[in-house]
Amino acid sequence: MYDFVKDPSIYNFVRGPLVWIAFIVFVGGSIYKIRELLLLAKKEKVVYPYMSLKFTLRSLLHWFIPFASANWRRRPVITIVTFLFHIGLVLLPIFLLAHNILIYESWRVSWWTVPEGLADIMTMIVIGCCFFFFLRRIFAPEVRFVTFADDYLILAIAFLPFISGFLAYHQWLLPHKIMVILHMVFGSLMLIAIPFTRLGHMLYFFLTRSYMGSDQGYRHSKDW
Amino acid sequence: MAEAGVKENVKIKEDWIKLKRKLVADPGFDETVKNLTTEKIEKAVNAVLNIGKNAGRFMAPLETCIHCALCSDACHWYLSHGKDPTYAPVAKVKMTLWELIKRKGKVSPEFMKQVARIVFCECNLCRRCSMYCPFGLDIAYQLGMVRRICFILGLVPQNILDQTHSLSATLTQLWITQADWIDTMQWQEEEVRGEIKNVRIPIDKEGAEVMWCPLGTEPKVATYHIARTAKIMNIAGIDWTVAAQDGWDSANMGMFIRDMETMQRVVRGIYDNAMRLKIKRIVLTE
Repeated sequence: MYDFVKDPSIYNFVRGPLVWIAFIVFVGGSIYKIRELLLLAKKEKVVYPYMSLKFTLRSLLHWFIPFASANWRRRPVITIVTFLFHIGLVLLPIFLLAHNILIYESWRVSWWTVPEGLADIMTMIVIGCCFFFFLRRIFAPEVRFVTFADDYLILAIAFLPFISGFLAYHQWLLPHKIMVILHMVFGSLMLIAIPFTRLGHMLYFFLTRSYMGSDQGYRHSKDW
Repeated sequence: MAEAGVKENVKIKEDWIKLKRKLVADPGFDETVKNLTTEKIEKAVNAVLNIGKNAGRFMAPLETCIHCALCSDACHWYLSHGKDPTYAPVAKVKMTLWELIKRKGKVSPEFMKQVARIVFCECNLCRRCSMYCPFGLDIAYQLGMVRRICFILGLVPQNILDQTHSLSATLTQLWITQADWIDTMQWQEEEVRGEIKNVRIPIDKEGAEVMWCPLGTEPKVATYHIARTAKIMNIAGIDWTVAAQDGWDSANMGMFIRDMETMQRVVRGIYDNAMRLKIKRIVLTE
């Protein structure tokens, strides 16, 4: 089994073509999904006339600041966990040194990276937040009532790249090469899953937030 | 599932809905459901869902909702029932819309009665949930779509459906004739003139600044509201009027039950009057 995985073609595949596939599907799928929602909104005829860029930006700013909105203030723990989770989720893949080295090897571009110690802590925070969400799905009654199998699935899809990356960096549990291959597979899986599952809330958030923000602005009311 | 005193001899397959509810009889539900069949329900559900498939506001929440249940804290039903998870907004959508979509509308009349009870009697579309949702998903809109399905099937609380029928026929909420309306204006004007000299309730005054539209209940059972409004308008020195023609009633029961046709006609009646009288601002009682 180890000999099979140590075969360089597996690594070469996940390091090269799989990354291409993942990004093409991710970018193409995202464009398709966003376009689909925009077209659906246009078909409705009562959505576009009320949309406003100013109130969209106001709403995005309002909800991107922890404890700015009433609901964030009502749930301080969830607010902190949600923000830390998403900050780690978005920033780590982009500003991690290991990822940067690979990109430099392929494309000869590099940028500022997060110090390794901080990256380690951020990864542990993301993993901890995943556990928090998991426990919340089981123990909070109002969440449990509306939780189905695919909720656990998308949580797992987001969790696996981080746990495998963490283990690969520390070279724990499995031989490094295997862990790295798994990490790349999970990472690609997550990218591919984003447009086609509810992980796509990443894309739709900006559109739905725009709608509600414009709605509030049109009625001369604050964004809650 | 039902409390003592309510007949419950129909088994509902969906026993995951372990609702603790005190059911109240309403002929709008109880009688209507006797005439429903699964075929009719399926047709109504699919008609509305087909429209919904082309509506961004309908599709976006279905694909974006991450089931975080942060909308729960917004819902006063949820909070006032001791944080019962079956009252949370997302729970209400789960028990109604998600089930209807999953089963493509093939549900029993008893289940549909349950759905109607949830969307009419356990939610009042206040939209707090939409405002508290981090994504800005319009949860109340989705429950409104379910109300439309129920309306098409006639599964509406009796009282509201009666009032919508009245609006559909007379553009007033409580079957008030034009003669009664004008009579009531003149009567209240007399009443107020007993307290404040020279108060007038102008009827159909063209070119006034403000046109005031009461609810239909006011001339029928709460005429003192009209008297009070007359006092306020006169003391504040506002150039106001009421419309004599039908379309003076701002109660829009059609909106509540998602009877889009009547809803539009009520609003149009008010705007028609405003245009006819060349009004600058329309003021509603509520």
